[in-house]
Amino acid sequence: MADPGRKSSLAAWVWVLVAGVAAFELVAHPVIRAGVPSEDSWEDATAFVRARFEPTDRIVAAPRWTDPIVRSYLGDLLSPSSASVGDLAGVDRLWEVGIRGATTRSEPPALDTSFEGVHVRMWLVADDEVLFDFVEEVDHAKVDLLTETGAQHCPRVRAQVHRGGLGYGPLPPTERFVCDPARPWLWVGATVMADLDLEPRRCIWQHPAGRKPVRATFDDVSFGERLVLYGGLDYNNERTAGNVAVLLRVFIDDRLAGEMRHRDRDGWSRLEIDTARLNGTTRKVRIETTAAKPHARTFCWSASTRRARGEQ
Amino acid sequence: MIVRKLCTYEQLVGAALCVAYVMTLVWTASDLAMSRDESFYAHAAKDYGAWITELLTNPKSALNREHIDRAWDYNWEHPAWMKLAFASSWLVHQKLGIYSSESLAFRFPGMLAAGLLLWLIYAWGVVTIGRMGALVAALVFALMPRVFYHSHLAAFDVPIAFFVTLTAYAYWRTLSDRRWAVVTGLTFGLALATKHNSWMLPGIFVIHYLWVRRQYALADRLDRPTLSWLPSMLILGPVILIATWPWVWHETFRRLLAYVQFHLRHVHYTYEYLGTSYFEPPLPMSAPFLMTLFTVSLTFLVLALIGVFYRRSALALPSKTQRGDPTDTKADVLWLGCLVAPFLAIALPSSPIFGGTKHWITAYPFLALFAGWGFVAAVEGAKGGLFAERRWPAWAFAGLCLAPGLVQTAHSHPFALSHYTPIAGGVPGAADLGMNRQFWGFTTGSLAGFIAETLPDGGTVWTCDTTWGAWRMMQADGRLPNDIRPARSMTEADLVLVHHEPHFNEVDFQAWMAFDDVQPVHVLTYDGVPLISVYENKRLGRRLE
Repeated sequence: MADPGRKSSLAAWVWVLVAGVAAFELVAHPVIRAGVPSEDSWEDATAFVRARFEPTDRIVAAPRWTDPIVRSYLGDLLSPSSASVGDLAGVDRLWEVGIRGATTRSEPPALDTSFEGVHVRMWLVADDEVLFDFVEEVDHAKVDLLTETGAQHCPRVRAQVHRGGLGYGPLPPTERFVCDPARPWLWVGATVMADLDLEPRRCIWQHPAGRKPVRATFDDVSFGERLVLYGGLDYNNERTAGNVAVLLRVFIDDRLAGEMRHRDRDGWSRLEIDTARLNGTTRKVRIETTAAKPHARTFCWSASTRRARGEQ
Repeated sequence: MIVRKLCTYEQLVGAALCVAYVMTLVWTASDLAMSRDESFYAHAAKDYGAWITELLTNPKSALNREHIDRAWDYNWEHPAWMKLAFASSWLVHQKLGIYSSESLAFRFPGMLAAGLLLWLIYAWGVVTIGRMGALVAALVFALMPRVFYHSHLAAFDVPIAFFVTLTAYAYWRTLSDRRWAVVTGLTFGLALATKHNSWMLPGIFVIHYLWVRRQYALADRLDRPTLSWLPSMLILGPVILIATWPWVWHETFRRLLAYVQFHLRHVHYTYEYLGTSYFEPPLPMSAPFLMTLFTVSLTFLVLALIGVFYRRSALALPSKTQRGDPTDTKADVLWLGCLVAPFLAIALPSSPIFGGTKHWITAYPFLALFAGWGFVAAVEGAKGGLFAERRWPAWAFAGLCLAPGLVQTAHSHPFALSHYTPIAGGVPGAADLGMNRQFWGFTTGSLAGFIAETLPDGGTVWTCDTTWGAWRMMQADGRLPNDIRPARSMTEADLVLVHHEPHFNEVDFQAWMAFDDVQPVHVLTYDGVPLISVYENKRLGRRLE
């Protein structure tokens, strides 16, 4: 049986509970605001990084939502390539500018310092050396579109770009390989695409035209131990499953060396081709993309040839 | 049950709440650029205003179908009542220039609805909870950051909260006084003519009515509550909807059906929730509940929970009623229905993704009323101790209860849609959790000074989520020079704005490509969280110092 006295004594303390919650809110509000780093802290931290930055370094923000702030201070040291998300091949040092205890890596940094709420950490990176970056070299590639009547050259021309906005997809470079002006999506060139996770990917847009391939050929590709390729679709199309797969095929000296079959919602995917037997040589690489139906196959890829640091 | 009338003093308090709130809204409105939806409604209101002018000067011509269709075709997906109010206010402003800005002319009817809603919450609270609880309830509603934001707008969300609450009040009065039946029908008509949130009212009322009838029957009462509200709603409601909406005067059935289908098959807004950008259903069922927890003062929510618990006997199922038991018209049950229904409608896995708290804002007046009860419960419980025979501790306690809401609301302005309460860790905590950052593009208003300074000789801006209508309204209000125009193409703009929401990352990356530059020249932040990045087109030779 309930004890009425106990009940009433509990009721007498309800106001204390409410007052406690109100007090918590009133105290927490300024505490949270006081934890926001000042502009001076950001300036000091980013000046520290700027003074030590080398061209082979990369800068990241933690947590990710602070990225625009970090870029507003250090963006002149970055390019669309280095501001995009990618693995650390070719990077010597990774600088992280972070707040709120967030970090992008679990291993202890080589340098760790703080500027009143803004943390600067630096890691020495021992990832692969990049020998040939396809995205950086795409302007020198040869692009063609295979048709019923044979290979049709896609010239590199200045062409209009879309006006930008939600759902428009990656903005093309003004100079790019245009295969068919009547199909404005049928171009090849370097852009920055939002992948399934809405992360920026610096990549080569190579929208398939159908069963006949769109081909990008790179002469004089220096090889190391492996060729690493990533690919995916623009998030607008990647996230809505239901379209056909994109097939990307890699030919080295006209011989099929590897392929990626990319389906919707696979996300930004990796293909690694062992090229140890080609280490130290220069070869021709052709990348072909096809899809049974080209509708909404907004495919973009990046690749590089690599070798472990210190290897010759 | 006889509902007592409010005395003059109580009416004055209600009126003072209304006037003070409207004055505060008017005073703070210029900090807010027009939101996306407002710009559409302002456009529509201008069309409708032109038609009203024609109706007054040349009615025969105005009533011609072609003229009606031309004027009312724009924004046909929402009924007309509030847009007529915006249009009327704007027409008055055109003639008399009574507002300080054009945007205020459109917004004032919405502000008035917010003020009247406070009055109504207070009035209903006074006759059920008592004066002090009613005052707390009204202020709880007023001091919800997102309610305060939406109360500024030339939109439908606060007006529909007002008309839903008013209809519920009229219905409740009808149960004990059938003379209110006509008022119920009229107010339901205005609710229907304001926004489709009103569609759920008959369902709530039927459930409540059956609850009350069952209670009366089991108590063996002969004076059963009247059902007259139902035919009144069913007849007057559609009549008012159609009468106030010339668009449906022709092809009535087809156009009403199109209106209903538009909302039942509504597009899904992309909405970030706990780190995921949802673009197709189902949004997690927890969304409306967690968003309320994260955007309404925790103190208010605790008070509301205490209020529901305190009124548990009034909320007991009617089956527990015994012959001869006292009966009433169960305001608490009605409030609980009006509180829960909007949350459930949004939480349903089949519901379109809306996300924003405005979509269940009609629940908040009832949440506030239960918070009023919660306040009373806390004070009543403490009557034997600190609060015994003294009034000031209760007033001090009321002040303490309301202070977090006041502080949060003041701090939320003019970024209320980005504001999160301490339980979420504030604005940066919500960013860590991956909660929606903003929508509607109105935060551009906070950059007006920067843009004007950056482009002293005029120029073009790619405005991202800010509509051109909202941009022009900033110019009409004198916040932006007329020679700074919105740009059609990103690459041709002097400045590019990017409103930060994850699904706008695509636009951010387009800006990188457009200018071959990843460095914003300015980042608008709120509590350290980026809201807008501004990129400068350095190729055009304009270089910021």
